[in-house]
Amino acid sequence: MLKILLPSILLLPSTWLISPKYLWTTTLSYSLLIASASLMWLAAPAETGWSFLNCLMASDPVSTPLLVLTCWLLPLMILASQNHLMLEPTNRQRTFISLLISLQIFLILAFSATELIMFYIMFEATLIPTLIIITRWGNQMERLNAGTYFLFYTLAGSLPLLIALLLLQNSTGTLSFFTIPYLPLTCSDPWAHKIWWTACLLAFLVKMPLYGAHLWLPKAHVEPPIAGSMVLAAVLLKLGGYGMMRILIILDPISKELSYPFIILALWGVIMTGSICLRQTDLKALIAYSSVSHMGLVAAAILIQTPWAFTGALILMIAHGLTSSALFCLANTNYERTHSRTMLLARGLQTLLPLTAVWWFIATLANLALPPLPNLMGELMIITSLFKWSMWTLILTGLGTLITAGYSLYMFLTTQHGPIPNHLISINPPHSREHLLLTLHLLPLLLLILKPELLWGWSA
Amino acid sequence: MLSRLSRLGLALPRSVSVLSTRFVSQSKADSAISSTAVTELYEPVNQSGHGEVSPFAKNPDFHGFSTNPEEDVRNMKMGFFLGISVALVIGGTFIHYLPDHGMRKWARREAERLILLREKDGLPLIEENYYDVSKIILPSSNED
Repeated sequence: MLKILLPSILLLPSTWLISPKYLWTTTLSYSLLIASASLMWLAAPAETGWSFLNCLMASDPVSTPLLVLTCWLLPLMILASQNHLMLEPTNRQRTFISLLISLQIFLILAFSATELIMFYIMFEATLIPTLIIITRWGNQMERLNAGTYFLFYTLAGSLPLLIALLLLQNSTGTLSFFTIPYLPLTCSDPWAHKIWWTACLLAFLVKMPLYGAHLWLPKAHVEPPIAGSMVLAAVLLKLGGYGMMRILIILDPISKELSYPFIILALWGVIMTGSICLRQTDLKALIAYSSVSHMGLVAAAILIQTPWAFTGALILMIAHGLTSSALFCLANTNYERTHSRTMLLARGLQTLLPLTAVWWFIATLANLALPPLPNLMGELMIITSLFKWSMWTLILTGLGTLITAGYSLYMFLTTQHGPIPNHLISINPPHSREHLLLTLHLLPLLLLILKPELLWGWSA
Repeated sequence: MLSRLSRLGLALPRSVSVLSTRFVSQSKADSAISSTAVTELYEPVNQSGHGEVSPFAKNPDFHGFSTNPEEDVRNMKMGFFLGISVALVIGGTFIHYLPDHGMRKWARREAERLILLREKDGLPLIEENYYDVSKIILPSSNED
């Protein structure tokens, strides 16, 4: 565990000490080396579940894919930010890279935490670099509003969690993941028990986001620069999912009827946000609402707590992380050329930028869950386990899948097909950097088709 | 190479305006001569440093990393090598040769082998009881 954490921490002084000539090359190279080394977590030998143990950190089949995704994302963020930061003074570039690296450190600590308080502290700590990235480097005035919504929604959700965890610590004496599943939960008052249950989950439901508490997401995904959108969509939403998976083990079995409203809200959110996507004019907002839609499925799956649902949720989280991040990178390539997020302003790109159109095509197909990509595998497992839980969810999930396909194709057709608008007089071709960025997003997604058992989590 | 793709308006700033030319006569209708001369729909804009200059203008081999060509090429090579050859290829090979996690594949093969064996011998596929019944010691049923 320290093999990956210490190099990540030491990347921070490196960014400040390297001469500006080598800054981006070196940070990119070292973060890629760390990402390659992080693959060792997948070689977990232990049959007990927890591997790479020490007192404070461990990895298990649920956290390993998320840890690898986190480590993989840092070089991608560095690649994506290089262009728009080129004109800024060196110290500001260093600050930006330091924020990305500190996010990675907090996320590694969060996913590998063995104690709930450490997880909580790291969960909150990730808010700070993200807030700074959104409000300092965002491009529009709305970034301030976005930062406020993001910060306060998440904080308001997680303060009850802090109280709930402190209560739990008081009654059980420990909050370690190793022991807490085996400790009996005693609470005399049933109402207090219900409120405690809700308090535990609220933070993660807001983070996922659940449909009712999702208002921060479109703002927070649209305003930051590309690296901010990438890390938010790819990993930070999954912190919510991961937290929910961890904490539901502890909350069992009182949660049977309590979770029904949230499951239905999540599934309804799939359809509602999908429908909003069909009416979007802003490309980044479309991808942001698409994230809410996919995460709604994940939230519903985690709440029904069956093995297949957990597996499906985990697979969909990883696959959606890669896909959503790739779509944001593609939206950024548009934005850097036209300086606008409006979809209608950059149509017919297949003729102008055929190579980028290939990436658009693959990313769109991944988004609409084309077999044999892991996106479909995840969604299918979730849909089937929801169907077993209750027949009627099939109407909602089926309609959701249909609408997902609809808006993904709408996004693709609007940006790629059709006549080239008259005002596009000079569009630069895609850089090698952009091709590398999208390759590193989509090739792992395609490779995961070949070995999906990396993502299955606990189930055999 | 890129300078030939004038329809994308690259390489030469002047060629930005070439894109909007039409090979149709734009001369007035009463002109006796309707030439297929190239006249321009939009006047060439004199940018003189105020507009956005394409980085491909100065460096046709721009890779997207840096305006300095040497740094650009170096960054490109490091990125592609470490990203694809090391991370994806070597990492992928490592993942491919990982041992059977949780003995899942072994479990499937063992199950298939045992099923074939038992069907051949006509034995039941699996015992009804998970534990060996003779080893279970029950307390006596005397009233205490």
